[in-house]
Amino acid sequence: MDALKLWSLSSQPLKHLFRCASSTTTLRRPYSYSYSSSSYSRVVLRCCSSTTTTTTTTNAGGRNRRVSTSSSTSDRDAVRAIRLKKVEELRSKGLEPYAYGWERTHTANQLQDIYKHLADGEESKSEKDAVSVAGRIVARRAFGKLAFLTLRDDSGTIQLYCEKERLANDQFDQLKALVDIGDIVGVSGSIKRTEKGELSVYVDSFAILTKSLLPLPDKYHGLTDVDKRYRQRYVDMIANPEVADVFRKRAKIVSEIRRAVESFGFIEVETPVLQGAAGGAEARPFVTYHNSLGRDLYLRIATELHLKRMLVGGFEKVYEIGRIFRNEGISTRHNPEFTTIEMYEAYSDYESMINMAEEIVTRCALAVHGNLTIDYQGVEIHLERPWRRETMHNLVKESTGIDFDELGNDLKVAKEVTLENLGGDLDYKDKSSLEACTSIGHLLNEVFEIVVEPKLLQPTFVLDYPIEISPLAKPHRRIAGLTERFELFICGRELANAFSELTDPTDQRGRLEEQVRQHNEKRAAAISKTESAEDKGKENDESYEVTLDDDFLTALEYGMPPASGMGLGIDRLVMLLTNSASIRDVIAFPVLKVQQ
Amino acid sequence: MAGPVDETTKEVSDLTMESEGTMSKNARKKELKNKQKEEERRRKEEEKAKQAAARASSQVKKNIATEDEEMDPTQYFENRLKHLATQKADNKNPYPHKFFVSMTVLEYVEKYDGLSNGEHQEEISVSLAGRIMSKRSSGSKLFFYDLHGGGEKVQVMADLSKSELDESEFSKFHSSVKRGDIVGVTGFPGKTKRGELSIFPRSFIVLSHCLHMMPRHKAGPASDNANAKKTDGWVPGSPRNPETYILKDQETRYRQRYLDLMLNTEVRQIFKTRSKIIQYVRRFLDKRDFVEVETPMMNMIAGGAAARPFVTYHNELDMKLFMRIAPELYLKQLIVGDLSRAGVYEIGKQFRNEGIDLTHNPEFTTCEFYMAYADYNDLMTLTEEMLSEMVKELTGGYKIKYHSNGLDKDPIEIDFTPPFRRIDMVDELNKIADLNINPADLSSDEANKYLKEACKKFDIKCSPPETTTRLLDKLVGHFLEGTCVNPTFIINHPEIMSPLAKWHRSKPGLTERFELFINKHELANAYTELNDPVVQRQRFADQLKDRQSGDDEAMPLDETFCRALEYGLPPTGGWGLGIDRLCMLLTDSENIKEVLLFPAMKPHAEPSAKGANSDVGRPFWHNFKNLLVSREFCCCLMTSFIMSCFFFIYEINR
Repeated sequence: MDALKLWSLSSQPLKHLFRCASSTTTLRRPYSYSYSSSSYSRVVLRCCSSTTTTTTTTNAGGRNRRVSTSSSTSDRDAVRAIRLKKVEELRSKGLEPYAYGWERTHTANQLQDIYKHLADGEESKSEKDAVSVAGRIVARRAFGKLAFLTLRDDSGTIQLYCEKERLANDQFDQLKALVDIGDIVGVSGSIKRTEKGELSVYVDSFAILTKSLLPLPDKYHGLTDVDKRYRQRYVDMIANPEVADVFRKRAKIVSEIRRAVESFGFIEVETPVLQGAAGGAEARPFVTYHNSLGRDLYLRIATELHLKRMLVGGFEKVYEIGRIFRNEGISTRHNPEFTTIEMYEAYSDYESMINMAEEIVTRCALAVHGNLTIDYQGVEIHLERPWRRETMHNLVKESTGIDFDELGNDLKVAKEVTLENLGGDLDYKDKSSLEACTSIGHLLNEVFEIVVEPKLLQPTFVLDYPIEISPLAKPHRRIAGLTERFELFICGRELANAFSELTDPTDQRGRLEEQVRQHNEKRAAAISKTESAEDKGKENDESYEVTLDDDFLTALEYGMPPASGMGLGIDRLVMLLTNSASIRDVIAFPVLKVQQ
Repeated sequence: MAGPVDETTKEVSDLTMESEGTMSKNARKKELKNKQKEEERRRKEEEKAKQAAARASSQVKKNIATEDEEMDPTQYFENRLKHLATQKADNKNPYPHKFFVSMTVLEYVEKYDGLSNGEHQEEISVSLAGRIMSKRSSGSKLFFYDLHGGGEKVQVMADLSKSELDESEFSKFHSSVKRGDIVGVTGFPGKTKRGELSIFPRSFIVLSHCLHMMPRHKAGPASDNANAKKTDGWVPGSPRNPETYILKDQETRYRQRYLDLMLNTEVRQIFKTRSKIIQYVRRFLDKRDFVEVETPMMNMIAGGAAARPFVTYHNELDMKLFMRIAPELYLKQLIVGDLSRAGVYEIGKQFRNEGIDLTHNPEFTTCEFYMAYADYNDLMTLTEEMLSEMVKELTGGYKIKYHSNGLDKDPIEIDFTPPFRRIDMVDELNKIADLNINPADLSSDEANKYLKEACKKFDIKCSPPETTTRLLDKLVGHFLEGTCVNPTFIINHPEIMSPLAKWHRSKPGLTERFELFINKHELANAYTELNDPVVQRQRFADQLKDRQSGDDEAMPLDETFCRALEYGLPPTGGWGLGIDRLCMLLTDSENIKEVLLFPAMKPHAEPSAKGANSDVGRPFWHNFKNLLVSREFCCCLMTSFIMSCFFFIYEINR
């Protein structure tokens, strides 16, 4: 503790403040080398800052950490003020607190690896052992003529061993006076393992590369304040290195997907985000306005219709990894913008996409985990191929006992049978959505979503969807009323959607026109409802317009080869493979509600 | 090999067609219309049948292609629809689900090109698929087709004697196959006596139908072939000439890109080149351990650049959102978060609500990377390495040809041999224009006055507001950019022009920034990143001043970003490159629309042009309509209206 006092004394104006700080910490926890000491030092800073603003007295140390960290803005402003003074001090000494660059020879992890055999107390001094590292200071301790700092870069951490004699001029004093936790520094020196066994850079010289003005949050706080985690993702990453790891894995997954599909000969293309008509899915689009064209444009809700044009143009295997936008609510599974891969292959049918889906997911799992058994939120998922394939009809029959094959075409009877069978297990919302179904196909799908979907934990291909809910899929070659379509479910979530593509322009026009008609009907109903309820201010779910992409239909008239296509949600795949509960954990900057 | 095809056909014919049922669900009005159409169709059908019968009886055998060519496009379309309807009525599926392809056309050509003239390998069975781009017949027993697939082509020689069909079936079937149809053929390889590699089909199936008349080269099939041969040899970096394309009309080429791709074989290569360029950049950065990330395209604030953003609205959150104009501020936050030792990058779309012209599209693709612990000198070296090596890999050398003065002039040569020329912006300007600009004093009113006079002296026009930044930009455009044909770095921009760049370590008033110019256009922009939060806030405040003086392209303050800097951004070099412009250079394209699959176009004058043919005769009213919707024109109208009101009031008062 003496050491700590000395350390604090070096920052002269703050002298008296540190006494209280050090005493509080002694009470709370034993001193340690580990990362958590950053929070310790943070308390030190917090105390001194609050005292400079004279908002707190010595009993500040008696507060528990949670309270002290949440004492918000004034605290932070005070720290900033102190550190800004240090910025000035550095400049007055001719040292630039925001440097222009730093030549590194190693990362922390590389050093840990190269010198893992170095014995305790041993030093490697030869010329080739002159190393240089850079990173953020996350912990520090100082004794009279000795200081230990912990430096972290993206690979890991390493200790900096600083001795007054070893450093030139007054560098040691500067180190003590001017370096705070959170600063980014570059150091060079030799390698030494301390007597206690900690591998360290034995520092010859150092430079502050970036002076930080705000203290790092302590780990516990960072983890609990969910909102702040998403709003200030960089803070989240600094405080919780495993967060950055999710995004590194995300990059790996996307890159692995690319490698997989390219190995099958697919070519990556870019199709427009801004479109005159938003087609390829059923969703509310975002609308924007182009000034010089003087027209409304929609943000794409799928890449499908443009990629199919590429097939018409003679490309046989294309894919696009890109952002999709849907003007819908946010949840743990939905962000208004998300990333998908869509791929199309000429002269193949949906069998081929089953193979691609298995290929992509297993390759990614291997790239991230090295094996095919993964844990997702406590459930063990087995990805060994082949995955289960079952028709929607059979799955519904298996779970509910209702055989839609035998129900016939009478919607009313079908609804009665369904409600009778499921009656007890349904809540009001489910019941009313079953009642609202306009066709047998919709009813089947609704029952599937309510009863079967949540149970599909292990990877399952659900095959042969009803034609009413699949406007872009080709009719099944054997079974009337169905399409050649599958969706892939893992952990009760839809991960991919694929079909043998509808290539008949007449059929396609009919189906899209029907879709528009149905939507407009719903919309009209919704509008009249809102009008009768005299609640005009509130927009309804169906209040947007659906437009027909006529250019797409024209393209089909020029002839599209038989083909299969698939869309796969990359965010959901990343969630699965990084064991993340929310989509917000895998999107670096998710959309959030306006801060109150 | 013929087996699977037969199976498919059989399965296909088992199919019950759904379209009838769906149709009947349509609104009453629609139904009525359809019925009328249907009736009309039937009437025409009967007429046609009569005609066909007459034709068959008359023994004159006309070339089918020429016959179709003479037909009116609408009638052609109707006929084709009718043909499909007949097939469906016969319970045949005109759109089979799958065709098993045993090899690509390219693989076929590579494998069997060595056959000798007249050699047939009847024991082998191969299945190929693709689009029929040309059809010729010799009597009713022999038909020749050009089958195009994956950018390659091969002749199909359908001979009655090799087919599984009898004579009348054979003749009937092949007269129904049209240019543009997508077909699958299974047969054996061989070469004709004249040495043309062909496939001799035993079975032949139409997989998808082209219902429209395919645009055709005026000079006929002979030059069609010549053109195809010539363009097949196009490689990135060499000149090309869209004037020689089969489909020349720009409107059609851009609006119906699939026709462009079908007919103009070079176009396919352009987009393959684009894909390769992006692949190269990605590989280049991945090799250096950069991490690819995705940052939001919709933000509360459109920051990171100076441009007018698109605005949209999130209904449920009741929130106005801007489409991003640059990912810069988010990427730097990830560097603050220590995401990667080497750095991060993003290749993605940016959106700017600006006019459309030869070099601008409202959405475009950029690559931005941020490299921790690097400065702009490192980035210049890296840029040289990336571009020169890319050009070498794609074109085989460092020099490319580019039609920079129009297609009627000879292409110029652009040399990517590193190192690239570097010119210091203010020094060079002072030297060339004999000016005396002092970079340390650019924020003063005197400096602004001096630059205004300079612009006046050289007759350089700058539309208001005449901020110092804009004046300087005009001067640079006038004197420096024109000299940058080979890759050139213009370096050390003044602070007032670069709100996110770090001040120069030794030259007061300047920043450590460079812009890479090639063929007089900016291709890349990079700097040592400003990471001092205090200075950054000050720069944003200065921008606000410009905003207030009317420059709506000045950058707004992003508080989240400034806060991030306070947690410490390591020394970082940041870099952005316009992918589309790079693609333009390497594909000899003067128009950005050449390298975008689906470029933004003005709205159609009428809903959906049915094929290329209806584009004829549109220009006049198309333009007029555009004039009506254009902002300027509306302004004009409004102003004149207001003026006349005033005048009217004035008159009355008198």
